Amino acid sequence: MFNDDPITLEIIQNSLRSISDEMFYTIAKTAMSPIIYEVLDMATAITDPKGELASAGAGIPAFVGALDKSVKAIINKFKPEDINDGDIFITNDPYYGGVTHLNDVVLIKPVFMEGELLAWAVNIAHWNDVSGKSPGSMSVDATEIYQEGIRIPAVKLFVNDEPILSVFDMLTANSRMPEFLKGDLWAQISALRLGGIRILSLVNKYGRSSYVHAVENYLELGQAMAEKAIKALPDGQYEIDEAQDDGSHLSVAIEVSGSKLVIDLTQAPIQSPLPINLSKDGTMLACQMALMGLIGDRQLANGGCFRVLDVKTRSGSIYDVQAPGPCGIYFETMIRLNDLIWRCLAEKVTDTLPSGNFSSICATIMGGKHPDTGLHYSIIEPEIGGWGAGDGFDGANAMFCAMHGDTFNCPAEIAETRYGVTVGQVALNDEDAGAGEYRGGKGVVIDYVIRSDNSFLTCAYTRNKIAPWGLNKGEDGSVNRVEVIRTNGEIEVHAMASEVTLDTDDIVRVITANGAGFGDPKKRKTAALVDDINNGYVSLEYAKAKYGFDVTHGGSYE
Amino acid sequence: MKAVIKEENIMKEGRVKDKVFVTTDVGGTFTDLVYLSEDPKTGRQQLKTAKSDTTPPNFELGVLNVMDKALVDAKQIDVMAHGTTVVINALTERKGAKTALITTQGFRDVLEIGRGNRPDFFNLNYQKPPAYVPRHLRFEINERVNYHGEVTQALELLPLANIIRELEDKGVEAVAICLLNAYKNPQHETLLSNAINALTDKLEVICSHQISREWREYERTSTTALSAYVQPIASRYLSRLHHGLQEKDFSGQLYVMQSNCGVDTLKSAKQVPITMVESGPASGIWGAAELGKIINEPNIIALDIGGTTAKCALISDGEVKITSDYYIEKSHLSAGYPIMVPVVDLVEIGNGGGSIAWVDDFNKLHVGPQSAGAYPGPVAYGKGGTAPTTTDANLALGRINPEFFCGGELKADMASVQTSLEKIAAPMGISTQDVARGIVRIANNNMVNALKLVSVNRGHDPRDFTMVAFGGGGAMHAAALAAELGIKRLIIPATAAVFSAWGMMMSDIRRDILLTYLSPWEHQTLVFINEQMAQLYQELSDEFISENFTSKDTRFQFFGRFRYENQEHSIEVPLPLILNESSIDQVRESFQQLYKQEYTYNLDNEIELVGLHLVGKADVGKVKLAKQQQSGRLIAETIKGEREVDFAEDGVHTSVIYDGDLLEPMMAFSGPAIIEQTGTTIVIHPDQTVFLDEYSNVIVELLKNKGGEHV
Repeated sequence: MFNDDPITLEIIQNSLRSISDEMFYTIAKTAMSPIIYEVLDMATAITDPKGELASAGAGIPAFVGALDKSVKAIINKFKPEDINDGDIFITNDPYYGGVTHLNDVVLIKPVFMEGELLAWAVNIAHWNDVSGKSPGSMSVDATEIYQEGIRIPAVKLFVNDEPILSVFDMLTANSRMPEFLKGDLWAQISALRLGGIRILSLVNKYGRSSYVHAVENYLELGQAMAEKAIKALPDGQYEIDEAQDDGSHLSVAIEVSGSKLVIDLTQAPIQSPLPINLSKDGTMLACQMALMGLIGDRQLANGGCFRVLDVKTRSGSIYDVQAPGPCGIYFETMIRLNDLIWRCLAEKVTDTLPSGNFSSICATIMGGKHPDTGLHYSIIEPEIGGWGAGDGFDGANAMFCAMHGDTFNCPAEIAETRYGVTVGQVALNDEDAGAGEYRGGKGVVIDYVIRSDNSFLTCAYTRNKIAPWGLNKGEDGSVNRVEVIRTNGEIEVHAMASEVTLDTDDIVRVITANGAGFGDPKKRKTAALVDDINNGYVSLEYAKAKYGFDVTHGGSYE
Repeated sequence: MKAVIKEENIMKEGRVKDKVFVTTDVGGTFTDLVYLSEDPKTGRQQLKTAKSDTTPPNFELGVLNVMDKALVDAKQIDVMAHGTTVVINALTERKGAKTALITTQGFRDVLEIGRGNRPDFFNLNYQKPPAYVPRHLRFEINERVNYHGEVTQALELLPLANIIRELEDKGVEAVAICLLNAYKNPQHETLLSNAINALTDKLEVICSHQISREWREYERTSTTALSAYVQPIASRYLSRLHHGLQEKDFSGQLYVMQSNCGVDTLKSAKQVPITMVESGPASGIWGAAELGKIINEPNIIALDIGGTTAKCALISDGEVKITSDYYIEKSHLSAGYPIMVPVVDLVEIGNGGGSIAWVDDFNKLHVGPQSAGAYPGPVAYGKGGTAPTTTDANLALGRINPEFFCGGELKADMASVQTSLEKIAAPMGISTQDVARGIVRIANNNMVNALKLVSVNRGHDPRDFTMVAFGGGGAMHAAALAAELGIKRLIIPATAAVFSAWGMMMSDIRRDILLTYLSPWEHQTLVFINEQMAQLYQELSDEFISENFTSKDTRFQFFGRFRYENQEHSIEVPLPLILNESSIDQVRESFQQLYKQEYTYNLDNEIELVGLHLVGKADVGKVKLAKQQQSGRLIAETIKGEREVDFAEDGVHTSVIYDGDLLEPMMAFSGPAIIEQTGTTIVIHPDQTVFLDEYSNVIVELLKNKGGEHV
């Protein structure tokens, strides 16, 4: 009675979202690595037979548009007759559809019904260690991808639903943490199997043609939504150039034309000998994330949305790296690009975006011997920081950056147990910065007191010299950094560092930036400012200097 | 504290007075009552139910009103159990006390930082939910306990006097104390709390370890802060209720419904009122479990559809699952607030009878999560609602009788319903009937997805389960949902309209202790684990003994929470009260089985213990439900007539309308049919058969059902 009506299509589309979510939670619940189950550095997706993204279940925005690219890489590499029911493919190599860096491992399963390829179920997750020159596989000084771990160049992992044991053995042999690897791998496999079953039962219920029609319709819907968002922007060509921490400059040229958004990155620097390069797919991902920030809707992010986007890169640049360029710390380049597009749009194109935030993954990697168990521990975590203010609201305090999303930080009580460090404080960053009619949100200060000798710190922070950008006379925010406070009182300040040695009672102090302000600070409402002073968000001196706070007329404060 | 038949109840003639149990449940709109009396000699029972309006902010009035309405004499009541929304209301309406927080030096901002997550992640203007305690009311104190529970820095009480003075100046009513690693050693929290009580009697003080003994400082701090926030208001409410009952010469035992499917004593409830937060849903789900025990259905999917939300839970082998992974105001748009107390494991979605249907910019139809609430309510109420709700769609499809709307108390405004559907039909280019069907189908699809989350998603095949549906809208949608999930049998309880109150009547006192306790699972650690378990057991059994329960009245059950080493999420496995050498392998085997059921694979990794969960139950002297008698009424006498009913996917059929209030045990008929009873409408699809069991529960058989999917 019902098969191709709008309600049936919508029910199929809802179901695709539920299936992606169900795959997502399966991984979250069974993964071994905190970076998967707490940071949610992973994603799941269903694509159409051609690899166009139908639905994504993601913990982080950076991965929403990642997986269609991996599927397309499989379609390009394998002949149709070599893609069969019961296969599972695996890749992690940005030069083979891995998109990001070697730690992010993608598993891909074609879903067949009666011999016909109907869909792909796919997921990606960050593995703790895939070998390479440094523990955790990400080092800030790798010069070739070979130093960053095992390259899995889009190969088969399962045939006829049977694992290819030699591939499993090769993977486990190439990790410093093979038990974690096995757990994470099986979590991903289990999610794919489940996704396959769910897709087939959906097709069985509503019929093949309704299913196919629903997917097509869904992509058209995504496209319509994106076109609407782009049409709302004034046509024109916009450019921005921004100085970076290392003294270099990055620029982007954006063209809005009707419902098309063209992002031109051909003026980018040549690819770096350092692992900060993005593959062309990774660059696409950063641009897609910026586009979704304009649309703002997580529910309906699919391949249709991305049809409005045209991204131009230059081969051999940091946005289109060629082998064997290293990519381990790709994420800081990705967030810089995303932030630069955002800034260009916010300063020149639209009023709907807030001012700049701490905008760095602030990847913090620490390891050493657990003082109580004697086992090696490894902390790999992104940090939370201050967000920018917008028109009508103060910036949010202490949130993960734009690349991360429903990501959870690690509780101090768990960190103390698991890693054997002492967490000295988890506090808001009380530095004054980011004044505005609406003020920037607060970053954090977190102290880790190290409890064993010969431990190490590796970190990759940007926005370390160039602070988050204010809008409409709002002040800039403050900067990200890591301090190592030695037992003799000496303080070292780091932003990009590899394997800094830490000994007992050294303190690693993570300090993340306060976000930028929006609007003239002089216009901030007195009541709000008094509240800020009472709560210690703004010091009295800063209130006087930047906000023009008058003690005698400003009302009461404590 | 145990309910015993009091001496004064033995009347002069030597006849023992009826044993009387009453339960009252305060909901958002209505306050429900169930009354059950039993003659101890003959076993003859009387069951009454009643409903009256909820009376915010003085909720106790509604309770006293509904007792009057049901002609219940408070003096005769032996046991009264009470459930209330007072805690959840105070939280969601931000009407709690001015609350302060004291934490370990360096950690006062934890409450505001939360976990840093942003569920609505493409929304760059995302706002964090603001902390219940503002920063200027959050204080730090020097002290430190490490993760082993050893004191590494002594508690410095010197600054406390100044803090207390400031709190009093600022008009603070309640103080939450949450110190780092207090889950492992609460000594400093206790010292601090004692010191505050020695300095002032104007503050309610609550420590984290009194509520939660699990790790994760943000979740524990949030739990403690929210608990302190509702403490004064909830405690005052319970006192007023007790006082009001006493004025009516009530002298029985008063118990309070908790979120863990049990009741607790008035005294305990006043100490930690936050545990009442989900009491309404918990008692309904418990009712489904107990109903299952009475009629021999141990595996149940419970579905409760109310005005604003639908809730569902899975009951496996008669057991409900209790977890401390609970949040309020959490959605795909907001991180919400964690409350780490034992709460029945349920999935809740924003789809109820009042959920509003709307069309987005791309002409896609959606249902909920916005609700028309009690006011203006569905369009059919005629109180000014203009957007159609699920209830309006059910009216338009002939499922609900417009002439018997809200039990005949209201006449449905069908002209306005039609207008509201037209507003959606026009942009979509479909008929109003298709809109009404679409609303019901989408609402059903949303609910099916929620039901899958509690079943297939956790490795349970719904085809092995019986569905029990209740709440105002449960019976209207359940038959379609059961069909879709491949469920073969659906039960609409006789007391579906007041099912939370009925479930309370079936509850024991229940206390859950959840403790974070990390240990390798091996022979060498067994002795320490046993020590810890014995200590927990002693703690809870001493508590019961101090309340005059004997060992005959109490039952205990242990669970261990296990995971593969280094995993995060754990699975609960039943443990014996005392472990022996063979427990190591037995538990490992159970873990492997349960793990595989839920996640489809096993590893050969070691498993580790992450926590212990002790459940203690004490009998309050429940009445065993008696079977109902037949009057000899004929089925034909229960038929009200016929009408056209639109069953959406199952077509339009002329259907017999039964008067549910007249149906009796052993009556049987088949669909398509509608059963109209006061407070609920039951929709029976074609090919489904109905019979009434000995307790007048409506049993719907879906024998031809071929729906469902593999786990």
